Amino acid sequence: MEIQITGLRKHYASEGRIIKALDDVDLTIPANLIFTLLGPSGCGKTTLLRAIVGLENPDAGEIRIGDTIVYSSRQGINLPTEKRGLGMVFQTYAIWPHMNVFDNVAYPLQNRKVPKEEIRHRVAETLAFVQLEGYEKRPATRLSGGQQQRVALARALVAQPKVILFDEPLSNLDAKLREETRKELKSFLNDLQITAVYVTHDRVEALALSDTIAVMRAGSIIEIGSPKKIYFDAESEFVADFIGRANLVKAVVRQQTTDATIVDSDIGRLACRKGDFPIDAAVTLCLRPEFISLAKGEHEGTNVVNGTIVSLVFVGDAFEGEFRVGEQLLLARIEPETSLAAGDEVGFQVRPEHCLLVAK
Amino acid sequence: MSGKHTNLTYLLIALVGFLTVCPVVMLGFGSLSEGLTATGTFTLAKYASAYSDPALLEVIWNTVIFVVGAAITATTLALFLAYLNIRTDIPCKFIFGIISIIPMMIPHILFSVSWALLLNPSNGILNLVLKELFFLDSAPFNIYSLPGMIMVEGLLDLPIAYLIIAPAMAAFDASLEESSRVCGASTAKTIFRITLPVLRPAILAAFILCVIRGLASFAVPSVIGMPGRIYVLATHLYQMVSTGFAADYGKAAAVGMSVLLTSIVLIYLYRHLTSAGERFVTIAGRGYKPTIIKLYRSKIPLFIILGILSFILIVLPVVVLVYTSLVPYSMVPSARAFSMMSLKHWVDVLNDPISLLSLKNSLFLGVFGATIGIVLSIFVAYVIVKVRTRAAGVLESLSFLSFSFPGIVIGVGFMWFFVRTPLYATIWALLIGYIATYLPYGIRPLSSAFVQIHNHLEESSLVSGASYLTTLRRIVIPLLIPGIVSGWVLMATMFVRELSLSVVLSRPGTEVLAVQILRFSEDGLWGRLSALGIMMIGISTLLVITVTMIGNLFRPADT
Repeated sequence: MEIQITGLRKHYASEGRIIKALDDVDLTIPANLIFTLLGPSGCGKTTLLRAIVGLENPDAGEIRIGDTIVYSSRQGINLPTEKRGLGMVFQTYAIWPHMNVFDNVAYPLQNRKVPKEEIRHRVAETLAFVQLEGYEKRPATRLSGGQQQRVALARALVAQPKVILFDEPLSNLDAKLREETRKELKSFLNDLQITAVYVTHDRVEALALSDTIAVMRAGSIIEIGSPKKIYFDAESEFVADFIGRANLVKAVVRQQTTDATIVDSDIGRLACRKGDFPIDAAVTLCLRPEFISLAKGEHEGTNVVNGTIVSLVFVGDAFEGEFRVGEQLLLARIEPETSLAAGDEVGFQVRPEHCLLVAK
Repeated sequence: MSGKHTNLTYLLIALVGFLTVCPVVMLGFGSLSEGLTATGTFTLAKYASAYSDPALLEVIWNTVIFVVGAAITATTLALFLAYLNIRTDIPCKFIFGIISIIPMMIPHILFSVSWALLLNPSNGILNLVLKELFFLDSAPFNIYSLPGMIMVEGLLDLPIAYLIIAPAMAAFDASLEESSRVCGASTAKTIFRITLPVLRPAILAAFILCVIRGLASFAVPSVIGMPGRIYVLATHLYQMVSTGFAADYGKAAAVGMSVLLTSIVLIYLYRHLTSAGERFVTIAGRGYKPTIIKLYRSKIPLFIILGILSFILIVLPVVVLVYTSLVPYSMVPSARAFSMMSLKHWVDVLNDPISLLSLKNSLFLGVFGATIGIVLSIFVAYVIVKVRTRAAGVLESLSFLSFSFPGIVIGVGFMWFFVRTPLYATIWALLIGYIATYLPYGIRPLSSAFVQIHNHLEESSLVSGASYLTTLRRIVIPLLIPGIVSGWVLMATMFVRELSLSVVLSRPGTEVLAVQILRFSEDGLWGRLSALGIMMIGISTLLVITVTMIGNLFRPADT
């Protein structure tokens, strides 16, 4: 089911200042895909999610889920949470500690007055789907973090909602389990025809899980696109910097050719991915460390940058090398078996499509 | 949803405001009135006569010594016990758990009576034993003295002080001490230079709460102070309202005003300290355990001290009462005493209509009063913890106010109110007074229960399609059961043994247990007193056990 949000506004007063948690947000969340709201903490992503599910009362705007208007300030509609028929996985999982696994998962069905026999059947089915078959009688207090997460997912799915919402559901798991659960979640959601709205501040999670990412900042959505588009072709410096590690270099547009934009930057003249900028516009050149492959010696040719290695830090699967080009320090990923050392003269050639230009 | 809560908040503010502000206002009103039934004319005569009384100066002096002495005794002992329990390897740590709950089991008046039975100068059992052993001419101890009062009150307030200091001690970050040791300080030096200063807010808070309790205390001043003609403010006030036809509620109100104001100032000081305390005591993350100090050679002597203390606090009062209820008159335990034992006093009590009435009344007040009190507490705690608007803050301050109430003073305030209503001299007057005075004891365990229920637990129920009421019934209430049980038990046991409010509000027909016990003590009927006292302890214990078992029924079987 598609979710349509129009002009959604929510302001808080805190210590005498107005905080715009949602600043007239317009957004269409496509049906049956995984849609991620990504942003730093305090950007309004959780407020937006809670407004969709009805736990937060917006100041103005409209929310439409499928054909139903669940909230509209103009028409005075505010459907209570329990009538919206959605599923949600909370950051804390919110597994009720006084119930066992079965009672936790059966709860949404009991509220919908489903016959007992069918409840048993559907709970068993859903638990099997999240790979917890046979856990019905287990007390909620005796589940591991990963199991709690699955129970929460089963509870959100059991009533077969058309929309499921996730509020940073993996942030309480340790790093290894988080990675496994992320993959699992992706395959669960791919198997279901369901609209998923996923809130996270973790860019890797967003990139790995989503069909579409919306990046939020200060109550506004500043960019929407596929993970690849957001990563390779961000429109703003904020998004380019937030979605991955990036070297940001000041540059000025000099020339537009048919397939590239030529800039003069603090690290020299470079041909970059074609962008819609006027001549002499001040822009930011964004170079991801993984696209810089350093080699010893001075390089010659086009799109070449030369510098000196300042430091190398071993981080396991690679070295993080810092090198100086003029006044500019750049970060590069260097393969772990490199023979480079601090003080070496190095250079690299970069492909124009890896040089992203964003507006300042 | 928020609209509903605003109405609920205002309703509760009105209700709690009536319960707590009404007696205070009526006390002020009474202190300015000419007489209980006189309305409309105001006078300062009561203040003039109350504060020009030459006896008042001595009363105030006694009060200060009594209250401060008892608070120092209680805090020092509590600090010692808390340190032993939490920071050392002393054996038998379960004793500390018992010490912290005995005030629920043994009413203050019975504890005071048992010490009077042991150490009174004419026939105190311990005094008689010591006289025989050492061939003394007179009794070595006189409990009817200021030191006697301070000792008994100090022991009574010890559990309260312990309950404040022990958690602070447990939350103490041991690395503060460890770094002191690394810097070359000895264990003793670390205790005095680091541990105690860091714990200062908790210690001060415990001390202030003990001072408030001492000011409000009526059992010790009446049972131990009055026979020795040592009057403190509480008994001074009691004299004014209890002397037959000449009862002067106006004068009592005038004196009561200053007691109440002192208490209110102290309780807000206490609250300030406990909230500021969080800044001081650094609490480490979960799974944290403070380092345990090995006692080595001092283990045995310290354990003996602990044993004596817990014997005095837990065993002695009950043993003395049981013994006294069985022997015909005060005598040293001997073969002769045991041969003369009978159930005569028990039979007397069970044939005494007033004792039976007081049993019935106290049981009713305990069961019914605590139930109403806890229902009110559930709503108040919910608004305070979960709604958190400015109005909820007002509600919290209002409900906190009655923590400061000295029972006898607030009783006089309620007297001025009830005499104008048909509730006067009915059991409902006592019920309302009890709930007003002891509301914080119901709110506190419920607030901490609500704090533990994360908002997500309720929200996920709403998302699952449950209505607000279903969420309350299936999620919130079941999770609250432990808080409800402990709040109910606390209130019920306090109501069953309530004394200081009841001595003012109880009238013929509405006698309650503690007041009847006070009458027996004034008449020197120690045997009957002990028999009734043991019944009182029995009722409290029975209530605690029953309700705890009912609470367990609601708990899921496998957790």
